[in-house]
Amino acid sequence: MSLKFTCDDKATLVAYLYDEIDAPDRQRVDEHLRQCAECSAEVGALAGVRTELTQWAPPSAELGFTIVRTDAAQKTASSQPAATVLRPPQWLDTVPVWAQAVAAVLVLAVSAAIANVQVKSGPDGFVVSTGWLAPASVATAASAPPATATADEQWKPALIALEQQLRNEIRATRETGVVRAASRSEVDEATMRRMVELLEASEAKQNRELALRMTQLASGINVQRRADLLRVEQAIGHTGVEMAKQRQTVNYLIRASTTPQQ
Amino acid sequence: MVATDEELVARSMAGDHDSFNQLVLRWERPIYALAYRVIGRDEDARDVAQETFLRAFRALPGFKGQAKFSSWLYRIALNLCRDWIRKKKRTPVVEMPEDFDFIEMAADQGPVESIEDLVARNEMSRVVAEGMKLLPDEQRTAIVLKEYHGLTFQEIADLQGCPLSTVKTRLYQGLSVLRKHLESQGITSFASGRAS
Repeated sequence: MSLKFTCDDKATLVAYLYDEIDAPDRQRVDEHLRQCAECSAEVGALAGVRTELTQWAPPSAELGFTIVRTDAAQKTASSQPAATVLRPPQWLDTVPVWAQAVAAVLVLAVSAAIANVQVKSGPDGFVVSTGWLAPASVATAASAPPATATADEQWKPALIALEQQLRNEIRATRETGVVRAASRSEVDEATMRRMVELLEASEAKQNRELALRMTQLASGINVQRRADLLRVEQAIGHTGVEMAKQRQTVNYLIRASTTPQQ
Repeated sequence: MVATDEELVARSMAGDHDSFNQLVLRWERPIYALAYRVIGRDEDARDVAQETFLRAFRALPGFKGQAKFSSWLYRIALNLCRDWIRKKKRTPVVEMPEDFDFIEMAADQGPVESIEDLVARNEMSRVVAEGMKLLPDEQRTAIVLKEYHGLTFQEIADLQGCPLSTVKTRLYQGLSVLRKHLESQGITSFASGRAS
C-alpha cells in the first residue's frame, strides 16, 4: 500500500470495512477519513448496508440429513462406499405398507363411486360405462314421474308399489307352483325399470345437495379470505407508516450527531 | 469434550459413520443457508445441501486435509449451486418462500420482539433479498460468504478461484449496488466510525 490512502483505493476501503487490515494501513485510512467527508460517508453507508444484511434470514427448515449405509455397501465394504443421505422421515414413510394399500383401495373405490363406473354384461360381452348422465330409455322416460314432484315423493310410492308387486308375485308362485319363463322375464324388466327410476331419483337428489354444499363452502371461504386480506393490509399499512416515521427520526438524530458543533 | 472437525473426519475415514453424521449435523444448517442465499429456492437449497453431504461422504477417502473440512464442504456446495444455475438456466431468484413463517422466525430471535418489529424485519428482509437478486452471481456469492459465513478474503478467493483483489472488488461493487437499492427503497443507514 502507498504511504497515503487515496479515495480511489476501494480494495483497502473494503479491507478497512471488514476489519481485515493491518494496523499501519488502518491508521492511514483513519487519518484520511478524518479529512475526507465523502469517503467517511461512504464507509458509514456501506457499514449501514452490512447492518441491514443481517435482517435477511433463510427459512427455518427442518433438515436432519443422515448418512445411511445400504446393505449392498455393507456386503462390498472394500469397494467405493455407497451411501444415501436421507431427509427427515416424511409422513409417507411412517405409514405402514398395509395401511398404504388400504388407502389405495379406498381411493379407487371412492373414485369409482364418483365416476359412477358401471359394468354390465350383455349379449355383446361386458360393457363398462362411467358418468352420471346416462341416456334415458324410452320406457324410462314414459314411466318417469312428473318433474315437479320431489325425490321423496317419487321414492315412497314407487317402493310401496314395488313391494306390493313382489308380494303378489310370491303369492301367485306359491298358488300355481309353476312360473312361466315369459312372465318371469316381464316381471324382471318391470322391476329393473323401477330400480333404474329409483336410482336416478336418488342420484339427482344427491347431486343437488352436493352442489348446494359446495356453493355454500366456496362462498364461506371467499368471505373469510377477503376478511383476512383486509386485516393483513391494515396491519401492514399501519406498520409501514410507523416505520417511515421512526426511520426519519433516526436519520435526523444520526445526522445531527455527526454534524460538527459550531 | 466436543470433537473437532478434523477428529470427526479422521474417525469417519476409519469407517465410523456416526462421526460423519455428527459432521452433517454440525454443518447442514450453514450449507443449507449458503445454498438458499445463492440460489434462492428453499426446496432446491435442500437438494443442494443433501447432495453436498452425499458427495462429501463419497469423496471422503480422497480428502487429504489440505483445506479445512468446512472450506471443502463450501466448495462442493458452491459447485453444486453453480451447476444448478447453469442446468436450470435460471437467474437465481432470491425471494421469500411462500410458506415463510413469521412466528417461527420470531421464535428464533427471542421472545421480546413485538409484532410490529417482526413485520418491519420481514419487510427489510424482503428488500435485502430483492437487492441481492440484482447482483451478479460472483458478487452475491462473495457477499454471502463474507457476511453470513465469516470467511476471510483469502478463503473466498480460494473458493471462487480468483485473486484476492478481485474478491475485494466484488464485495465493494456488491455493497454499492445494495446501498443504492436500499436508498431507493427509502432505507438509509449512516453509521459513523469504523465498521468491523
